[in-house]
Amino acid sequence: MKKSILFIFSAALLFPACKKDPKFTPDMLGGSSELYDPSFYTPEKYLISAAKPNPTPDEAKKPVIIVVHGYSATTFEWNEFRTWAGGRTDFVISQVLLGGHGLDYTNFKSATWQIWKQPIMDEYSKLEQEGYTNISLAGSSTGATLLLEMLADGYFNNHIKPRHVFMVDPIIIPANKTLSLVDPLGPVIGYTTVDNSAGEEKYYFHYRPYESLQQLNNVINIVRKQLQDGVTLPANCTLKVFKADKDDTADPVSAVLIYLGTKTSTGAKVNVQLINSSLHVFTRLALHDPAPTTQDVKNQTDAFTDIANTITY
Amino acid sequence: MRKILPLLIAAHIFAFCKPAAAQVHTFDVGLRFQKSIGLYYENGVTGQYNLTRRWALGVTYVTSRLGTAWGTNAIKQDNVLASGTYKFRPAYALQPFLRGNLGYFTADYGSPMFDSLPHTSAIASVDGGISYQFKLPVKVNLSLGYNAITGNGASGAGTLYPVFYQLSVTYNITKL
Repeated sequence: MKKSILFIFSAALLFPACKKDPKFTPDMLGGSSELYDPSFYTPEKYLISAAKPNPTPDEAKKPVIIVVHGYSATTFEWNEFRTWAGGRTDFVISQVLLGGHGLDYTNFKSATWQIWKQPIMDEYSKLEQEGYTNISLAGSSTGATLLLEMLADGYFNNHIKPRHVFMVDPIIIPANKTLSLVDPLGPVIGYTTVDNSAGEEKYYFHYRPYESLQQLNNVINIVRKQLQDGVTLPANCTLKVFKADKDDTADPVSAVLIYLGTKTSTGAKVNVQLINSSLHVFTRLALHDPAPTTQDVKNQTDAFTDIANTITY
Repeated sequence: MRKILPLLIAAHIFAFCKPAAAQVHTFDVGLRFQKSIGLYYENGVTGQYNLTRRWALGVTYVTSRLGTAWGTNAIKQDNVLASGTYKFRPAYALQPFLRGNLGYFTADYGSPMFDSLPHTSAIASVDGGISYQFKLPVKVNLSLGYNAITGNGASGAGTLYPVFYQLSVTYNITKL
């Protein structure tokens, strides 16, 4: 970490106008249209608004949970929740693909965080228009940050109120503090790379362009300041934060900022649970290398059970 | 021209400003205003003892309580530092300087629930900048610094950020 900072500093001094384009292989997300997120081709398999645009009165009352993945990820990040829910019929899951994500690198590079957020608002708004009345939200990593921004920005003032909001490893403070320097140094480094496992390469961008890292830095700074000023949840809405206590992407202190900066409509503190885990987005275990431990599996099951029990209570 | 004018003025001040009487065995006390890039304003007090013409020793306390956390939900965090400063051009009013700092950081997370998270840390940082001695016994320091110890999500305090800048305004109390 320290070496990388020194390297970036020296690179900034020596190569002030260097900008590179990454090389993709066909096995990488962004390298081939065959690897586009499947929700792009078959939204009805992922979005409840597309699958059931005309719900019966009973279906409209059933809990719907919109699940939102994180930065540089895809709908894959919440697939295990759908698998875990299996044949349950007491709630339904709507998996949103963030704007600019899951397609090609050019889209990813040019998308702002407002574009990332748009599909969440689109799905929420469509469900509301279609008559769904019991909607909850869950976000992982940057997905959670975007949900916080929507809460702070008053999006729900003119919409039906969400029943419950869940956050899995939200990022307000990055573990890698070099992100705070991305504005001046980003144009020098061009992009960063991520050590994905071979399987993850299909679902998570291997390259992170500095433009999108700047967007990430922008949105976490905006939300941090919103939390400083105070965020109040909509009436009767609950918030539960699950945060791994060791996380090399979203610093665990992110949970502290949310705890200090958010309150319910009655002024109560929100619910935060620290999880004994060193995985970022501990609810996504598929394709991890090394393989998840027994504790990791328990953490995932416990969180899914908690979410499902809460929205169906 | 508009862009280079400030540089020309700065160069003029740097090259031609009049020599000042070198201060030895004097004590400057004052206020420090600090901002971590990407995080909080932390303000407080500082004292510098001018040991020789070139060397000064100092102590500083800065806190977000007097900065971003004042009246907000930001984390209340405190930094106590001891420092050693080397001054270049000690005979001049405008002095570039380099400073090494060692200290202790602690943050209040507001609930025992977070006791298991790292909330204290050693501080080891360097900063460099310029100091200007006015005719009044007032000195202004501007510097840019680098924190060698930061949190990484697994260890270290999460709200210790790597790069900061600061302004100090001090008064030579030995002139009182």
